[in-house]
Amino acid sequence: MTDHGQPQVTGGSSGIGKCVAIECYKQGAFITLIARNENKLLQTKKEIEKYSVNDKQVVLCISVDVSKDYGHVENVLKQAQEKLGPVDMLVNCAGTSITGKFEDLEMNCFENLMAVNYLGSVYPSHAVIPTMKERRMGRIVFVSSQAGQLGLFGYTAYSPTKFALRGLAEALQMEVKPYNIYITVAYPPDTDTPGFAEESKTKQGNFNSYIGSDGYMLSILTSGMSPVTSITEGLQQMVCMGIFRIVGLFYLGSFDSIVRRCMIQREKSESTDKTE
Amino acid sequence: MTDHGQPQVTGGSSGIGKCVAIECYKQGAFITLIARNENKLLQTKKEIEKYSVNDKQVVLCISVDVSKDYGHVENVLKQAQEKLGPVDMLVNCAGTSITGKFEDLEMNCFENLMAVNYLGSVYPSHAVIPTMKERRMGRIVFVSSQAGQLGLFGYTAYSPTKFALRGLAEALQMEVKPYNIYITVAYPPDTDTPGFAEESKTKPLETKLISETSSVCQAEQVARIIVKDAIMVCMGIFRIVGLFYLGSFDSIVRRCMIQREKSESTDKTE
Repeated sequence: MTDHGQPQVTGGSSGIGKCVAIECYKQGAFITLIARNENKLLQTKKEIEKYSVNDKQVVLCISVDVSKDYGHVENVLKQAQEKLGPVDMLVNCAGTSITGKFEDLEMNCFENLMAVNYLGSVYPSHAVIPTMKERRMGRIVFVSSQAGQLGLFGYTAYSPTKFALRGLAEALQMEVKPYNIYITVAYPPDTDTPGFAEESKTKQGNFNSYIGSDGYMLSILTSGMSPVTSITEGLQQMVCMGIFRIVGLFYLGSFDSIVRRCMIQREKSESTDKTE
Repeated sequence: MTDHGQPQVTGGSSGIGKCVAIECYKQGAFITLIARNENKLLQTKKEIEKYSVNDKQVVLCISVDVSKDYGHVENVLKQAQEKLGPVDMLVNCAGTSITGKFEDLEMNCFENLMAVNYLGSVYPSHAVIPTMKERRMGRIVFVSSQAGQLGLFGYTAYSPTKFALRGLAEALQMEVKPYNIYITVAYPPDTDTPGFAEESKTKPLETKLISETSSVCQAEQVARIIVKDAIMVCMGIFRIVGLFYLGSFDSIVRRCMIQREKSESTDKTE
């Protein structure tokens, strides 16, 4: 048993999920990898097992789509608990992204992204919460995104799903706090980096997990009504919010310029095409 | 024609949507009401028509579920434009709420709420944006909620849908700003509407107690503010106040949990 208990990682066969699993494994944890593709899972399992620190460690692979059929998701997670013991940490990394202009995106993009990114985090969380509440301990991580702190051009199908995770995390944290269960929301920039795995293993369980200096500024600026984990965090937010708001407004101004310039250029080239 | 053009109001047959429609109508607009129930629509139409300020005003009723079948939503909104002219303002009020503890809520609550509150705003917006971009003018209003600014006990199925609307609004605004199209997100508090009455039926004790820290608003008030596009500003001090509120909410939740467990163990010993 480790600090991290028996973490279950959805979306664990690649990207951020895989790196989170490796980080936990390096610290002696017994991992459950949850993803759809069995081959990818087995490949990742082999990759992870190279980092084992003792003989007893296990990587359990479960192939399931966490955004479809809640009953099935509930069952497989229960089976994992029977094999490896009760889950102490669930890391919801299952997610994907689609970008494009609002009017160009198909409606099923909006529906599918919300299903994978949001429901795909709701279902596993709903399956593990009762056990965590009984044991009065647990940790659930939601992987949002910087696009879940501010809406950006091209992300009309993606940002809502990542904003939704924040709403879920805040509401859920308020419900489970007396049960000693901690929720963490991570806001990685839109890059697939191992750096995230390093940042997210804070022992105190920060509510907001950010990457880099841009991430720091955004997390303070958008702290809104999210809970604080320490007095220092609260003080930093109170002091810096005003200045960061000004900086943020300059950023927004520059984004708007970019959008306007691109629109003007596109229209110029369209009218040039017509006159030729 | 008025400042507000030809507003289309989804969820316009009751609650905040109806009051928004009335506000616009009082200012001479030609309204399109969009909702599912035809009878309710006709009743609301009669109610609204009492407020007419000239003979030409029209209230057009469209019965459709804005969260199902995008093709159908697109068609009916286009038909409305053919009858009343191009839409200048779309007000997305269609929405509902379910409260309860996370582990007690059925999965279809999460799915249905997201469909109605989020997709039910995406579909109509997607249908009107091309025309607005062509005309280089327009306004889209999304009705979020204070529960879309902070997550509260009992709202694990509802808050995400209202947070999502904010993400949609911010991203969309960045895309359409050069086209002179303006997005507004409204964050009403608990508002006295049929939707609120529904929500209160399954409300957990903790949620009721936390809600008592702010009062219930009248829908007319909310509508007036939405239509006037009220904006509020100010931060550092409010963060301190906000943290105190959060602290008191956490106390309420802890107290209720302790009390519930006491009564459970008393039941067992009897």
